[in-house]
Amino acid sequence: MSWRKLVVVALLALTVAGVKSRSAAAESRVSIGVTETMETFNPYGDSVSLLYGIWCQVMGCLGTYDFNKAEYVGMLAEKWEVKDPNNWIFHLRKDIKWHDGSPFTADDVVHSFNRARNDPQSKQTQNIAPIASASAIDKYTVRFTTKQPTAPLPEYIFDRLIITNHALYEKYGADTADRKYPIGAGPYKFKELIPGQRFVIAKNPDYPGMKKMTQAPDEIVYRVMREDEQRVTALLNGEIQIAQFIPPHLKQRVESDPNAKATTVDAVEIMFLAMQPKPPFDKKEVRQAVCHAIDRDRIIKTLLQGLATRLDGPIGPGQYGYDANLKPKYDYNPEKSKKLLAQAGFPNGVDVELQTPVGRYTLDKQINEAITQMLNGAGFRAKLATPEWATLWSNVQAGKVPFYYMGRGSIVDPSVALSQYFETGGSPRIGYSNPKLDNLLATERQTFEPAKRKKVLSEAMSVITDDAPACFMWRHKMIYGMAKQIDYKPTPSGRIFGEDIRVLK
Amino acid sequence: MLLLITLLVFVLLHAAPGDPAAMLLGQENTAADLAEARRRWGLDQPILVQYLKFVRTAATGDLGKSFRFSAPVKEVIKERLPATVELAFFSIVIAILLAIPLGVWAGSRPNSWLDNLGTSFGLFGISMPNFWLGIMLILILAGTFHVLPSGGRSTYGVAGPAQTGFYFLDSLLQGNWKAFNDAFLHVLMPALALGANMVGILMRVTRSSVLEAASEEYVVTARAKGLDNRSVLWRHVFTNALIPIVTVVGLELGTLLSGSIIVETVFAWPGVGSLLITGVTSRDYPLVTGVVLMYTVAFVAINLVIDGLYAAIDPRIRY
Repeated sequence: MSWRKLVVVALLALTVAGVKSRSAAAESRVSIGVTETMETFNPYGDSVSLLYGIWCQVMGCLGTYDFNKAEYVGMLAEKWEVKDPNNWIFHLRKDIKWHDGSPFTADDVVHSFNRARNDPQSKQTQNIAPIASASAIDKYTVRFTTKQPTAPLPEYIFDRLIITNHALYEKYGADTADRKYPIGAGPYKFKELIPGQRFVIAKNPDYPGMKKMTQAPDEIVYRVMREDEQRVTALLNGEIQIAQFIPPHLKQRVESDPNAKATTVDAVEIMFLAMQPKPPFDKKEVRQAVCHAIDRDRIIKTLLQGLATRLDGPIGPGQYGYDANLKPKYDYNPEKSKKLLAQAGFPNGVDVELQTPVGRYTLDKQINEAITQMLNGAGFRAKLATPEWATLWSNVQAGKVPFYYMGRGSIVDPSVALSQYFETGGSPRIGYSNPKLDNLLATERQTFEPAKRKKVLSEAMSVITDDAPACFMWRHKMIYGMAKQIDYKPTPSGRIFGEDIRVLK
Repeated sequence: MLLLITLLVFVLLHAAPGDPAAMLLGQENTAADLAEARRRWGLDQPILVQYLKFVRTAATGDLGKSFRFSAPVKEVIKERLPATVELAFFSIVIAILLAIPLGVWAGSRPNSWLDNLGTSFGLFGISMPNFWLGIMLILILAGTFHVLPSGGRSTYGVAGPAQTGFYFLDSLLQGNWKAFNDAFLHVLMPALALGANMVGILMRVTRSSVLEAASEEYVVTARAKGLDNRSVLWRHVFTNALIPIVTVVGLELGTLLSGSIIVETVFAWPGVGSLLITGVTSRDYPLVTGVVLMYTVAFVAINLVIDGLYAAIDPRIRY
C-alpha cells in the first residue's frame, strides 16, 4: 500500500471512529462539563461548591436548601429542632444504610464533625465554625452545641458537612479509607475519580425513593473542562450532555444547534463594589455617590445581554429574608453623585482606584471598564487596576484593597455573608463598623422564629444599603447548555444533584 | 544546581503576593480558619526555616505534601507525569514525521515551489501561538466535523484499569484496541497544537542543514560515483545534516515541556503542565517547587541523552 493510500485509510478510520465515539453515549449516562477541578479523594480536602454537591450525593449530607420549596429539606436528617438557643437536635433517618450495608448512625455524624474540624487536610473548618461540640444522644439522634446562638446554622452545615463512615476510618485510617473504600450513604455511589479529569458516580438503587426515580441518570460523569469553548464544543459534539457556566457570548451558539438548548438560573452569588471606610470612602456621601454613578440597568442590558438580575440590596428574590420593599434604592443619577461629592468636600472630584479580577466573573474586566467610565462621568477620577486573582483575593482578605469588584457566592441565608463583610470584626475584607448594624445582626442570629428573624434581617440590610459600605450590583444568570433529551433545572447554588436530572427517552 | 533552582523558586513564590490559605479555604473562611491552616502547613514559620525544612526532606526524596491535593507532591506528579510524557512523545513524533521529510525535500530543491510551500508551512508553525491553534482545532475538528473529541485523555468506560498510567501502554498490555484507538483520538489534537511550533523550527533547520551538507565535496564525489539522487540525499546529505537537527530536537523538547502548560489547559489534559497552573493559581508552594524541580531534572536528562546521541550519529565524536 502506498503512503497516499495509507493516509486516506487512516483519515477514513479516524472519521468513522470519531463519529462512533460521538454516538457511543450510554442511554442513562449523563456527562457534565464542569469548570471546577477535582483533585482529592479526601471529602474534606476541598471547599468548592461543585464538590460539596458531589460528595453530598456519594457520602451524604444532613440536608440541603430546596429552591423550589424555598426551605431547607432533610437528606440524611429526617427533621431537626432547636432545643434551646445553643443546642440543635438532628433526628436521623432510620432507613439509610451505608453502601456496604452497614447501618448509618449518629456516631458517623459526630465522627464527620470531628474530621471536618481536625483532619490535617481539611479545608472545611469554616463550615463548623459556630459549633462547639457534637454528641450522639442515641443511635439516630445528634446534638450540635453552638458557641453562640446561631439561627442560620443550616446555612453552615447543610450540603457542606459531608458525612463519612466512622467504622471504615477506624479500620483503615483516613488515606486508605478515602482512596480505597469511598463507601457512602448517599443516593449515588462512588465509581471513579481521576484527579484533574473526572469524577464518576452511579445510582444507588437501595437509597430510599431512588428506585422510583427511573429517569434519573444511572451514571453521572463530571468532566473537568475549564475552557468555555471546549465545554460548548463538547456539548455540540455529543461528548457531554450538560455544560456548566456558558458565557453569554456562546449562548447563541448552543441555541442554534438543533440538538441542544440553553437554560438560565439566577445565581446565589451576589456581585458588589466594596468600599473600605478609608479616605475618601470614609464619607458616606462618597460611597452613596458611587452607587448613584453606576447605570446597572444599562450594563445588564448591553454588556450582559440581559443575563443578570439587578440587586436593590444585598440579596435578591429566592434568597432567605429577601424584602422587595427594602429602602433606600439607588437610581442612576450622575448629577446627584456630583452633588454628594461636593457635600463630602470634593467639589472638583476625587481620585479613586477600582480593582477587579479578570476572568473570574462573567465579563468582569469589560464591566469594570464601563463602571470606571461611569464613575468618571459622575465627578470621580477613577482608574482601573486588574491584579492577578491570587494577589487580589489575598489582599482583599488581608484588608488591603480599598475599592474592589467582587462576588460572594453560596448565599441562601445571608446572615453569614453579612456578618463576614459588614459586622465589626467579621473580617478585614471591608473593615466596616456600625454598632447599630452589629446589634441587628446579633439579634437576628438569636431569633429563631422565621418571621421575626426575616424582619430583623431586612432592617439590617436596609442599614447596610443606606450606609453603603458596598454598592450591590446584580446576580448573574448562570447559563447551562444541555442536550435536548435532558430535562434539568439548575440550582442557583451551582450544586448539581443527579436526582434533579431527568433523561428523556 | 538543583539546590539553586529550589532556592530561586522558593524565594520567587514567597515574594509573589498571595496566600495559600486564603486561596484554598473557600470564601466563608474566618481569620481563625486562615491562621489554623497556615499553622498546619508550616507557613507561620520564617521563610528560611521553611526552606531548610524543604531541603532536608527533599534530600530524602520527600517533596512534601501538596496543600491543594492533600497528598504527597511526589505521588501527585507521578500520577500526572504519564499524561505529559505521552503528549510530548506524540508531539515529537508528529513534528519529526512532518518536519524532516518537508525540510529534506525543501533543502534538496531550493527555491522551488516545494521549498516555498515548505517554508511557508514552517513559518505558519512557528508563528502560531499554540493555545490559539488548539482552540481552532477544537472548533474545526471537534466542533464542525465531529471527528475528534474536544479534550480530555480518554472516554469514560473505554479503557481498562490503569496499570502504568500510560494509556497507550496499558491498552497494549491489556490487548484493548478500542482503548488504544480512543487514546489515539484524544491525543491527536493536543499533540498537533503542541508540536506545530516544533514542526516549523525543525523544518527550517533541516532545510538549511541539508542545503549546507549538499554543497560539501563528498556529495559531489557521491554524485560523480553515479549514485542516484535518493541515495545521495538520504545516505550522504541527510546523515551529515543530522547533528544540528538532533540538537534542535533536544532544545525543542524543553520548549515542548513548557508549551504543554498552556496546551494541557486548553485541552483539559491532566498532565504536569495543568498541574503547575493549578499549583501557581492556588499558591501551592510545595507543589510548584516539586514540579519545577521535576522540569529541571527532565531538562538535564534530555540534554544528557542528546549528548549521547551525538556520538551515535557521528563516529568522530567520542566522550
